[in-house]
Amino acid sequence: MNIVALVKYSRDVTEIKVDPATSELRTAGVPERVGLIDKNVVEAAVRLKAATGAGLKVIALAPATARDSFKDVLAMGADEVVLIEDPFGGEAEAGIVVRLLEAAIRKLDPVDVVLCGFASDDGYSFQVGPRLAERLRRPLLPYARAIVPEGGGLRVEQNLDDRMQTVTAPLPALVSIDEEAFPPRRTTLMDALKAKKKPVNVWGIETELGLSRADLESSARIADTRLTGVVVRRQQRVLKGQDLGAMADALIDALEQAGVLKGAA
Amino acid sequence: MGDKPTILIWSENPALARELAGAARQALGPGGDVALLAPAGVAVDVPSVDVVFTTERADEAPEAWAALLAAAVSQTEPALVLVGATKLGLQVAPRLSERIGAGYAAWATGFTLEAGTGAVAARCSLYSGAALAYHQFKPGRVVLTAAPGALTAPADAPSPERIARQSTLTAEVDGTAPTVVGVRPKATSAARLEEAHAVIDIGQGVKAKEDLALIESVAALLDGQLACTRPLSSDRDWFPEWLGLSGKKVAPELSLLIGVSGAIQHIVGVRDSRVIAAVNNDENAAIFAQADVGVVADLYAFLPVLVERIRARGMRPAWQ
Repeated sequence: MNIVALVKYSRDVTEIKVDPATSELRTAGVPERVGLIDKNVVEAAVRLKAATGAGLKVIALAPATARDSFKDVLAMGADEVVLIEDPFGGEAEAGIVVRLLEAAIRKLDPVDVVLCGFASDDGYSFQVGPRLAERLRRPLLPYARAIVPEGGGLRVEQNLDDRMQTVTAPLPALVSIDEEAFPPRRTTLMDALKAKKKPVNVWGIETELGLSRADLESSARIADTRLTGVVVRRQQRVLKGQDLGAMADALIDALEQAGVLKGAA
Repeated sequence: MGDKPTILIWSENPALARELAGAARQALGPGGDVALLAPAGVAVDVPSVDVVFTTERADEAPEAWAALLAAAVSQTEPALVLVGATKLGLQVAPRLSERIGAGYAAWATGFTLEAGTGAVAARCSLYSGAALAYHQFKPGRVVLTAAPGALTAPADAPSPERIARQSTLTAEVDGTAPTVVGVRPKATSAARLEEAHAVIDIGQGVKAKEDLALIESVAALLDGQLACTRPLSSDRDWFPEWLGLSGKKVAPELSLLIGVSGAIQHIVGVRDSRVIAAVNNDENAAIFAQADVGVVADLYAFLPVLVERIRARGMRPAWQ
């Protein structure tokens, strides 16, 4: 059995700041890394690997210079990382990213299980799993909180809006991991040493995937995207001190001034 | 696309479908058609809709809804498809975009449909709500998702009652849908948080479930509904639902945040409140930059004093 975990290399959105005067996003110098959700994807994949004896490869779209960022993923238990060298500098729309991932999965076929996050930390648009399932024409078991191999297929516990649901599907299949499910393991020094021997293979979109950059660009549906930061305009008045009664009165006064509270008529 | 532009809408949540219909009608003006794929087994009471598709299907497989929507698309040739951003809708919409070769963006907070060309532009929430992305799509069909409350048309927007043309839709579903072998409904909250005048929003600073009595005493005085951050719901299971990016979004007169650190993923659920007040014992908590008025204090010491002072001064909520 072969497992592929899709891991996003992305900006740490908690480090993105907004210029309060111009609403401009300050993205320069924001660190890039393997996403938090994506560590959980690797954890789910490593557990499935342990349960089935499968091989486990990680696919990520990233600059070739990011090779070292995947040490932890390898230390967690992946056998190999396929790094698709990103010709779009992290700016490709999801429709293009899905085509790259599809091509990489097809090149690695036979792949029995593809694991991904329900969404990414930065884009948070929930679209890679369902779009890949459509393109690969394979079943998708979304929002998984538990994954069990069963009868040659998978049994998955799903966390949906109004219910928990158990579903089964034959292989090959895709599974997306629910928010905060499969918290990642801590790795040991021994894991890190073992990981040093594992490969990070860099694939070019034209050389290894056989895709053309021009074709990919023409498949884009978004002509232009402009970003602005959301500026919080709150009064940011802070009350502090030892006198709790005075602070309570000051809070009540502030709420009265704001028209939230009113005094006895 | 015909001369009259069409917007096709769908959500399994009837209230959200109504919101989307209102936004679609406003964007189209009187000229275009709003088409609705009705949720299964739900009476259609959505005003300002011109075409209603009903379906016999009762299951909630995203594959099935994507197939039905694709069928509705080929009948109505819409410029835009609007889907409610629920966990189900966020599966259905990207599938549909692949099936019909449409552009796609999630978390729309506004959109325009250019008369004549049908060109779509959308404003979407990005980076956990810290940013807005303005997408100009290439000519062609577009699919957008929108969360509850994100596209609400102004209350005074005209919403003409229309007599909708109805037809029943069927679609072949491909064989990839997983088999459902068990369902366990979740507890749902009786409180209608979206309608509360005040929301008392608690975070991990509230240590034990017994402490809710103290919070409730504050809520009672402020005519507030209790709400919480994600960990209090998903980890501690105190409430069935939470506020934030992945949860509910509210916009009350007052949100009082108690023991909430102020992570953007949570704040996005309350930041449209008219007034935000916060109590937190950590002077450096991010919440103080997100609040109109903040109190740096231990909540267990401060809240009883606040309750006593509100009572002593005979204060009550402005809306009562």
